[in-house]
Amino acid sequence: MNDELTWVLQAQQGNDEAFTRLVEEHQTHVYNLCYRMLGEPEIAEDAAQESFLRAYQNLHRYDQSRPFATWLLSIAAHYCIDRLRRRKLSIFSIDEENDDGSTYEIADPASPDPEAESVKREDRDHLHLLLKNLDETDRAAVILRYWYDFSEVEIAESLKLTVSAVKSRLHRSRRALAGMWQEDEHREHRTRTERRPHESPAF
Amino acid sequence: MNHQPFEDWLLNDKPITHEQKRELDIHVRTCAYCAALAETGIALKSAKKASPQAGFTIRFQARLVERKLAERRKRLWGSVLFTLGGLVLLMWVASPYLLAFAAAPATFIAALVQWGVFIVTTIDAVAQAGSVLLRIIPDFLSPFAWMVIISAIAGIGLLWSVSIWRFVRVPRGV
Repeated sequence: MNDELTWVLQAQQGNDEAFTRLVEEHQTHVYNLCYRMLGEPEIAEDAAQESFLRAYQNLHRYDQSRPFATWLLSIAAHYCIDRLRRRKLSIFSIDEENDDGSTYEIADPASPDPEAESVKREDRDHLHLLLKNLDETDRAAVILRYWYDFSEVEIAESLKLTVSAVKSRLHRSRRALAGMWQEDEHREHRTRTERRPHESPAF
Repeated sequence: MNHQPFEDWLLNDKPITHEQKRELDIHVRTCAYCAALAETGIALKSAKKASPQAGFTIRFQARLVERKLAERRKRLWGSVLFTLGGLVLLMWVASPYLLAFAAAPATFIAALVQWGVFIVTTIDAVAQAGSVLLRIIPDFLSPFAWMVIISAIAGIGLLWSVSIWRFVRVPRGV
């Protein structure tokens, strides 16, 4: 029996220390999912904590034939989807919330090519912003696929969808992301090439 | 511009042959959409995980303690209110009888027996009246009225089921 299953069994018997170990083990997975879904560190922290609380309260329902991480991420994904839907219903738009879209992935100065690393980071930040424009379930599918390497079957199980629905959602999301990426690049290119009327050609 | 089969190759994330890769490279140079699809694919595949701020577990433990305390408090207040409410209701209903029993026990017992007989005869009368009504009413009410009554009963039943479901439902994903 592996450590994780032992902790789960102990936690199911009311051992909070064992559950704390599970939290320690999975905090990054759950937090990252919430962060990619909700876009802001403070809200992601709150959502991750709430997901762990849900898991704690429903630990007796956990089916040991499934990996614990998959079960946990499924709870977090559904929690974030519900939260985004509630947010959509509220009068405030996602863009009006205090969000500078910043992440704390700093380019490693010791990496062989800091410039390439910086470009990669920019692309990732850009992608993080674009993810916000996807439908909640599509976003969850993309995150589970690319951040967690979930197969289409695993995504379907986690999000309670069919495999063909997952496939179509992933394709639709990739197309949408590419479309937005293309638009942004086009806009950026136009801004760079357009010379302002008062500006000297020398500049 | 025709994006096939390049779009499929880019979307399916499956290995492609050397020749297919060469064709894809040529196409991507001339197709902005497929170039964007390839770039987003690379960005997605190089995505990194964000970590929470240090002390996540300690904050979770504090939250868990807080939540447990709040739930215990809620349960305690709920049971106190329920017990008190039940007691007040019981006293309110029983007080006239208790007072009458204390004043004259024999009269009270005789009244109790009389009341029991009254209840039994009333139930019997209601049952007989009900059976007569059941025989007569279908002829008085139109099919439309029956439909309205049955729909109303079904609506109330649905409302009741939804309320129960909302009360006992399990969070999604669990």
